[in-house]
Amino acid sequence: MTLEECYVALEGSYTDAISRLRSEKLVRKFALKFLNDGSYQLLQDSLAKEDYAEAFRAAHTIKGVCQNLAFDKLGNSSEHLTESLRNGWSDAAPALIEQVKADYQQTIAALNDLDPE
Amino acid sequence: MSNKQKVLIVDDSEMNRSILADILGDKYEIIEAENGVQAVATIQKYGTELSVVLLDMVMPKMDGFGVLDMMNQHHWIDEVPVIMISAESSSSYVERAYDMGVTDFISRPFDALIVRRRVINTILLYAKQKKLTSLLADQLLQKEERSNLMVDILSHIVEFRNGESGMHVIHVRLITELLLNHLMHKVERYNDLTHEDLDMISMASALHDIGKISIDEAILNKPGRLTDEEFTIMKTHALIGAQMLSEMPYKDDKLIRTAYEICRWHHERYDGSGYPDGLKGDDIPISAQIVAMADVYDALTSERVYKKALPHETAVQMIIDDKCGAFNPELKECLLDVAETIRSTLASDVVALNQKRASQNAVAEMLRNNETSASERTLRLLEKEREKYKFFAALTKEIQVEYNPDPPTLTLSPWGAQKLGLDEIIMDPQNNEQVLTVTGAENWQKITELLLNSTPEQPMIKYDCKMFYNGELRWHQVIARAMWQQEDEPIFQGAIGKVIDIHDSKQRLAELERKANHDSLTGLLNHASAKKHIIESLEGHPHDKYALIIFDLDHFKNANDTYGHIFGDEVLKLEAQKLKGSLRAGDIAARIGGDEFLIFLRYTDEVEPIIERIFKTLIGRHEDFEFTVSMGVVQTEFADNDYETLFHCADQALYAAKRGGRGRYCFYRDDLPDTIHNKAKSSLSKIESNDPNREC
Repeated sequence: MTLEECYVALEGSYTDAISRLRSEKLVRKFALKFLNDGSYQLLQDSLAKEDYAEAFRAAHTIKGVCQNLAFDKLGNSSEHLTESLRNGWSDAAPALIEQVKADYQQTIAALNDLDPE
Repeated sequence: MSNKQKVLIVDDSEMNRSILADILGDKYEIIEAENGVQAVATIQKYGTELSVVLLDMVMPKMDGFGVLDMMNQHHWIDEVPVIMISAESSSSYVERAYDMGVTDFISRPFDALIVRRRVINTILLYAKQKKLTSLLADQLLQKEERSNLMVDILSHIVEFRNGESGMHVIHVRLITELLLNHLMHKVERYNDLTHEDLDMISMASALHDIGKISIDEAILNKPGRLTDEEFTIMKTHALIGAQMLSEMPYKDDKLIRTAYEICRWHHERYDGSGYPDGLKGDDIPISAQIVAMADVYDALTSERVYKKALPHETAVQMIIDDKCGAFNPELKECLLDVAETIRSTLASDVVALNQKRASQNAVAEMLRNNETSASERTLRLLEKEREKYKFFAALTKEIQVEYNPDPPTLTLSPWGAQKLGLDEIIMDPQNNEQVLTVTGAENWQKITELLLNSTPEQPMIKYDCKMFYNGELRWHQVIARAMWQQEDEPIFQGAIGKVIDIHDSKQRLAELERKANHDSLTGLLNHASAKKHIIESLEGHPHDKYALIIFDLDHFKNANDTYGHIFGDEVLKLEAQKLKGSLRAGDIAARIGGDEFLIFLRYTDEVEPIIERIFKTLIGRHEDFEFTVSMGVVQTEFADNDYETLFHCADQALYAAKRGGRGRYCFYRDDLPDTIHNKAKSSLSKIESNDPNREC
């Protein structure tokens, strides 16, 4: 699929991304780079270790990157997760972790289907 | 050296950093840091070379606020602009960031155009500010030079009327400055005087005689002695000068007030006998006391219409003896301390000196106003030095290190870092596991102690230790120099140094030492080193029981003659091996001559079983040659505890063993109080043999 279709599939905003980064080329470059970004893995690892300060930072990073790339859906859920972990573990966290997981997989799946240029 | 402006991007996410780097494009040189600690180290390294820092807020190790805190502590924030970029947008965060000195705040998601524009704006703003600062510095300099000039013109007018050369004002000013500068450091109650006071007093000193403008020229320039009446008129110049100043519209100005003190009281005397007010002791302001002394000194050493110039030494002595006024004893001490400086200063080109001094003061003033600012030129020079240093460091292939205590940072030359497998910049190295693995905690501690115990006069230290890297422990030498800031109590500012791999040379040295101490054929100790060890044992534990044994191979000469020297050498090696095998740890064995060997051992009860055992071990054969040994033994129980005596006695016993027919050992026995000389002669009666059938 095209970059625009890919944004539909991951429920992001293609026009926002283009208007922010000012070039389709940059958006594509960084969207693809997201596939190799370690923040999600870091989030999972730190949750497994119950290191919630680190998990907070990882969620925070995902949120920041998603906002810049206008990956709205994942950006949203990771923002909620960030807030739920800001002061350590909270009861709201487990459901949000699941949501981020689902959104992340949706995003990755869409990016994997992106046509090469 | 790159001419591009340097931008530091601090963000823990590699993606975020590369997005920002891409947005800024290749117009800038991008430097990256992935956490606050790295950021601080990088800012410290590059300083004002950084045009702007883009700072993330949430990061591991040290967050954005931590970085800002450091930048504030070290005043870097005044010169390196920071733009904070964060997904945190709550107003309390933003406010706190601005409070801590960030220039701008960009929240995520950001627009590429805005980031680019704000970076440019910030850089321009700071460039302008820097330019303004240096403009201001130039003006300040000009201003001080001008006011100095005005004061100089004014006082020259007075002097020309006086028929003086115009040098008097300059001299008085220089002497005042030298004396006061010394006094404020030497005498505790004047420690409060500041450099500003110093400038003020020396500038005001030029005005000390302005009252003379109202004195009749006939009196001023009279070649002979003044009459009482004339002198009374002359004396009025002090009060008149003061009055002129007090009538000025700026009479509350600090300079005018200081000049007032000086005009009015520079003819007072410490004992109260001066004029116009007869003030005594410390009622006379220190400014006036000092100018009075400077005035007298210069008057004495200069030619006037009414007198010849006196030599420096005479003038100083006259002041000390109160022959020309009466002065504060502390001030007299100061005069003696700086007399030589005064003499040499006045002998040099004082006009040039005066101008240089003025500009120095202006710069000092500027630096005082803002300790952290330095002129553009200094920074350029500094950068040049840094480039030079980096260049040479890269060439030398040395491990060069720099330590900065605040914040604790260890910086390694790139080559050194690579060699040791460490980062180039390491924050908090004393708690860094990798650093401590390389150096060992104990060595780190020791080196720190050596540096802290060094002095500004002797800041160099040398320390040999083993370091671990590449899976190997190797000897290194650390040569370092502590950097001390010269205050009354020197302040440790860090250290620079290098680490040299001395493993190979150290091993060569050890090998040489080993060779020097050992017999090359048998690997046993040689005679000299065995002797040294034996003497150490005897002196170390004089009450222990020792035996010294000398033996040689029976009929060894025959073996050599029959089978050749190579065969003989093999026999010696074999014998040495047997000998080594029969000894206990702590025993000493040496080859002391052709086929002659020495053993030195400690025993507690009976020595004979030990001797018996060794003796038996030493009997053997090599090919067709069967060999036995003859052995002489002496025990410290029966002889004096000194090496020469023991050796001599053992030799006697050996001789006896040979005479007894070889293939045996003999003990030296001496139960009689006798001299060595006699023992030698009557040795037979004192020797016991292990051959039961014969009396040796």
